[in-house]
Amino acid sequence: MAPRRSTLLSVLPLLALSLLVVGCPKRPATTAASAPPPSAPSPAPAAPAPAPAPPTQRDVGSSAPSAPAVPAPAPGAPAPSAATPPRPSEFRTVDALRDVFFEFDRYNIRPVDAKVLDRNAAWLKENQTQLVLIEGHCDERGTSEYNLALGERRAKAAMGYLVAQGIQANRITIISYGKERPSCTEHTEACWAKNRRAHFLVKAR
Amino acid sequence: MRHVRPLSVFLAIVVAAGSAGWSPGPARSQSPDVLLNVLATGAKKLNIAVPDFALRPGVEPRALARQLPEVVAADLRFSALFSPVTGTGAVPLDRPDDARRAWADFAGAGAHAGLQGIVSPRGDRIEVEMHLYDLTGPEFRLIASKTFQLPAADVRRLAHKVADEVVLQFTGERGVADTKIAYVGAATGMKELYSVDYDGAGSNRLTANKSINLSPAWSPDARSVAFTSYMRGYPYLYRIFAFESRPAQLLAGFLGINTSPAWSPDGKQVAMTLSKDGNPDIYVLTLTTGAFRRLTSHSGIDTEPTWSPTGREIAFISDRTGSPQLHVMDAEGANLRRVTQGGFVTQPRWSPRGDLIAYTAREGRHNVWIVASDGSQPRRLTNGEGDNQSASWAPNGKHLVFQSTRGSGRSQLYTALVDGSEVQPIPGLAGEVTSPAWSPRLP
Repeated sequence: MAPRRSTLLSVLPLLALSLLVVGCPKRPATTAASAPPPSAPSPAPAAPAPAPAPPTQRDVGSSAPSAPAVPAPAPGAPAPSAATPPRPSEFRTVDALRDVFFEFDRYNIRPVDAKVLDRNAAWLKENQTQLVLIEGHCDERGTSEYNLALGERRAKAAMGYLVAQGIQANRITIISYGKERPSCTEHTEACWAKNRRAHFLVKAR
Repeated sequence: MRHVRPLSVFLAIVVAAGSAGWSPGPARSQSPDVLLNVLATGAKKLNIAVPDFALRPGVEPRALARQLPEVVAADLRFSALFSPVTGTGAVPLDRPDDARRAWADFAGAGAHAGLQGIVSPRGDRIEVEMHLYDLTGPEFRLIASKTFQLPAADVRRLAHKVADEVVLQFTGERGVADTKIAYVGAATGMKELYSVDYDGAGSNRLTANKSINLSPAWSPDARSVAFTSYMRGYPYLYRIFAFESRPAQLLAGFLGINTSPAWSPDGKQVAMTLSKDGNPDIYVLTLTTGAFRRLTSHSGIDTEPTWSPTGREIAFISDRTGSPQLHVMDAEGANLRRVTQGGFVTQPRWSPRGDLIAYTAREGRHNVWIVASDGSQPRRLTNGEGDNQSASWAPNGKHLVFQSTRGSGRSQLYTALVDGSEVQPIPGLAGEVTSPAWSPRLP
């Protein structure tokens, strides 16, 4: 069995992170700090309302509960800053960049996949104007939340490898789709193996 | 706070609803095997008559007279404490002798309690007045009277409130019928959030952003739902106000993943998973200040936090020992201990009673398990039929909802009692349905 995490790869993501600059600002795209929710809404039980005001219902529904009016959030706050990374939809697949695959519940790069990543790195070096998006994916087993974390680790492992090969970290954006965007939808091991992958897309700077 | 007096008769009752007993008048749909069912579950159920509600003039449609008691009866049946009978005419209003004769008939047929409902128009609202009687003694003692009022469009909720009050009167704890379940539905081809009454009525879409929306979590005041969404391309964490026309509010939009929200019991903080500092770790957001506090710092995956009902501890999943396992730490991140000792464990949900934690174990297929919060007495809630995942507790800690592919292979929602009995589907939900979140009791 392959080692769970190679020493190299446990270090690289940290290095890579420290280099995230362009397209991946170190600062959060946005945080709740700029948009505090309504100040300490009193819990419902504390506001006995035997005859509450008619709710402003989100949709016409026969069963929406009444709720006291809540002040609107601070205006103009929660919008992504200009430094937000490009939207994933701006990236496209290119034949030259191949997927790499992972064992179940693993996020280490296998030797066979390292060769794939070497070729991907070579292409990226020849195409310096291209930014790359690495998607981390999982098979359908397990839960949405855990798989989002697992997919993140897979994308980050692939990113770490590319950075170690000399690709600038600021050209790379990662995204985890967990198990939400499988490339293969049958419930078989063959299909699951195809879904446990890191996928590469590019866009011009 | 009014003192709640559980009926002493309740626990003493041994149901004897055999052939001779409990089937007054034109009782419809009273199952002949009530006694068998009671014996099979080991429970004692209380026979309660829920005759038609009386409608004052001006209440429309008139069919409510029977529809409302049917909803109440279904709620009481769901509680697993009652054996209700509906379908008989309303108890006469304003004629005490006739009313008394009606209750005497029910008592003679085996009813232990009787519920009377009176529906009145109140402008654009509707009011239900309920009277609950003890039919085990000759005086037909009035146990409780209560009045509920809601907008006419919410009339079904009035029935839920009546049922929850009946459960309160007999057990000392309010029922859970007036609740919602939020879930992820794929009926449109995208994953959107929905909410639905706990019994499957009134499904309502909460998001329409045509992206991927995941992991709904109700705030303790039952007004908002935190969730992860790709609506802006990346997995950020938001909250949406389920019953108000307000835009989704961004809670966390850092680089990397912003997932797995869990509200603190006081509603002031949200625990979550962020990978902004390198890899997935647990953080807590204080809503009033917007400040984030980091609780874990480990090179493995830490995710899926869930608060103890005291707010003093947080359980979460970590793969730091090799495979994902349930861990518990205090709310400051200290005093870490591992709770499960093997297998592949995800999706912890701390019971609102505090003593138990539900989780999902992968054992070939997935099953919902329940373990004491100290790690003792793990037991399987589901039986291996299909994949069973993503349990969420009802606010009483007695029921759970989970997703299962049993039967059709399509993921649907089911409810069960904490002992694994009384498994039943939530009907009428279209498409693949996952990630249920049972709301607190509605205000």
